[in-house]
Amino acid sequence: MSTTTPTTNRHAAPEPVVPTPARSSRLTFGGVLKSEFIKLFTLRSTFWCIVIIVVLSVGVGLLLATVQPPARAGIPSAPNPSTLQQQATAVRDATVGTGIGQLVLSVLGVLVIAGEYSTGMIRSTFAAEPRRLPTLFAKAIVLGITTFVVGLITIFGTAAIIFPLLPALHVHPDWSDSKLLLALFGAAAYLAVISLIAFSIGAIIRNTAGGIATAIGLILVVPTILELVAGTTGAVWAENLASFAPTQAGAKVYAYVSSTPATTDGVVSLDAHQGGLVLIAWFVVLFVVAAVLLKRRDA
Amino acid sequence: MIEAVGLTKRYGEKTAVDGINFQVQPGRVTGFLGPNGAGKSTTMRMIVGLDRPTSGSVTLNGKTYAELKAPLHEVGVLLDAKAVHTGRSAYNHLRALAATHGIGRKRVNEVIALTGLEAVARKRVGGFSLGMGQRLGIASALLGDPAILILDEPVNGLDPEGVIWVRTLARHMASEGRTVFLSSHLMSEMAQTADQIIVLGRGRIIADAPVGDIIAQAAGNSVRVRTPDAERFAELLTNKEVSVTKSAPDLLVVNGTSAAHIGEVAAGSRIVLHELTPLAGSLEDAYLALTEDDVEYHAAGFGDQEAAQ
Repeated sequence: MSTTTPTTNRHAAPEPVVPTPARSSRLTFGGVLKSEFIKLFTLRSTFWCIVIIVVLSVGVGLLLATVQPPARAGIPSAPNPSTLQQQATAVRDATVGTGIGQLVLSVLGVLVIAGEYSTGMIRSTFAAEPRRLPTLFAKAIVLGITTFVVGLITIFGTAAIIFPLLPALHVHPDWSDSKLLLALFGAAAYLAVISLIAFSIGAIIRNTAGGIATAIGLILVVPTILELVAGTTGAVWAENLASFAPTQAGAKVYAYVSSTPATTDGVVSLDAHQGGLVLIAWFVVLFVVAAVLLKRRDA
Repeated sequence: MIEAVGLTKRYGEKTAVDGINFQVQPGRVTGFLGPNGAGKSTTMRMIVGLDRPTSGSVTLNGKTYAELKAPLHEVGVLLDAKAVHTGRSAYNHLRALAATHGIGRKRVNEVIALTGLEAVARKRVGGFSLGMGQRLGIASALLGDPAILILDEPVNGLDPEGVIWVRTLARHMASEGRTVFLSSHLMSEMAQTADQIIVLGRGRIIADAPVGDIIAQAAGNSVRVRTPDAERFAELLTNKEVSVTKSAPDLLVVNGTSAAHIGEVAAGSRIVLHELTPLAGSLEDAYLALTEDDVEYHAAGFGDQEAAQ
């Protein structure tokens, strides 16, 4: 301690409190928002999450865009694929980063709140903002906006980089197609909502490792198991359940074509709107649980 | 003023704070004293609304903490040095807290200077020593220039100079008419800082009195007497009020009478005294006497406690 004690403090005891002009200020929601914004952008983990998602999304997109058609399942291999097929392929390549992006942003979402519990910071946070719910809302707003913007940059950035390469694969993306733009926006929105779902899980579990494990479990493991069950036993219920998992339902939001009939042979198929609503429902339910627990539990 | 009424906190079967009532007055330093596990921290956490009381209430100038319009200006609190995100710098930590109340960077820099953190303010808190963390916690507490200051174990991990600084700070804040409430498990620290002392043991208040009274209470009136004729003198002195303990062949500790009286008895009986010392009670003794039965975690003794005398 003695080595790090600044010399300015030597016996500087007698005049500790300088009266300040700070008195006029008070606690406001705008202030809490600003505080949460500062908190998010003064941690290295935030920076790394953003770098990872942008780099991986663009990287994987580039990989897809440069691989020759026969190597890829589902690509229109005919010399003259329809416009619809071309646009769908372009969207799929531009949004391929969501697969990794959702994991990275889930980690970020959990860290935003559970990181405060793991380090003890939450006590400082609630000492400054004791009603607690404004903090939860402010965190969700800051996280939602940030991840949506990061999603937009990632998805549109990937699209801008790889679309010029696609004509070599007989795919000619059309930027003027509103359905294409909507799907790309949808992918960014999907990433934001997924990170908010992870955030709510983090607020419920209050532990970084546990929160991340649970969020990733919901995103990766649950749908995989359900699909495995459906695939091996042909159980319709498992397939239906799987289509309501956040990832499956959310995927409809950023799929280029989703005009499939509602049900075939008892298997439910959601359209983009329904998928979006299911995704939002996941967030709302988890967020409400988090809010109730936050109010009730000791910090 | 801080006022607790029937404040109770139970964790399952265990009662951490058991229906306590107390007031912490402005304009003086109130010490909150008790052994580890007595319920001091739990009480402080309830004051600032982090823990919800099982029953009873605690208010700050008549309001609960959550009702305060500007908590940082009304109450400055140091709960423990670890209430900080380890990945953030001290400066950014303070800036984030200040932002909630619209407190400017000027004040952030002020409290950094005040607590002597300039040299490390831009470093991540994870690498801070205990003392540095403590200074940062105090800086956070001072951020809003609060009317009430609550510090849980503020001198923990501080070097002697830091301890003196905290002591001076507490006295100075109280002299400005603010309410200062400090906890400690160290009586000696309280003796030098506090005006009023609330002693907590096993979740109950054992004493709530001015420092002077607590010392007087404990002073007992022990007198140490050294005489070659210890055996006979002990017999002479012992009566209903006076008890004598022989702690060495020539050493007596007399309780229940004054040194003057002992001297008179010795002169009257022509007994030679080598030493006649009134033992002033220390706050430490008072504390030990008070909390004797209320210590949650007893350490196993090292042989006997004779060394304590």
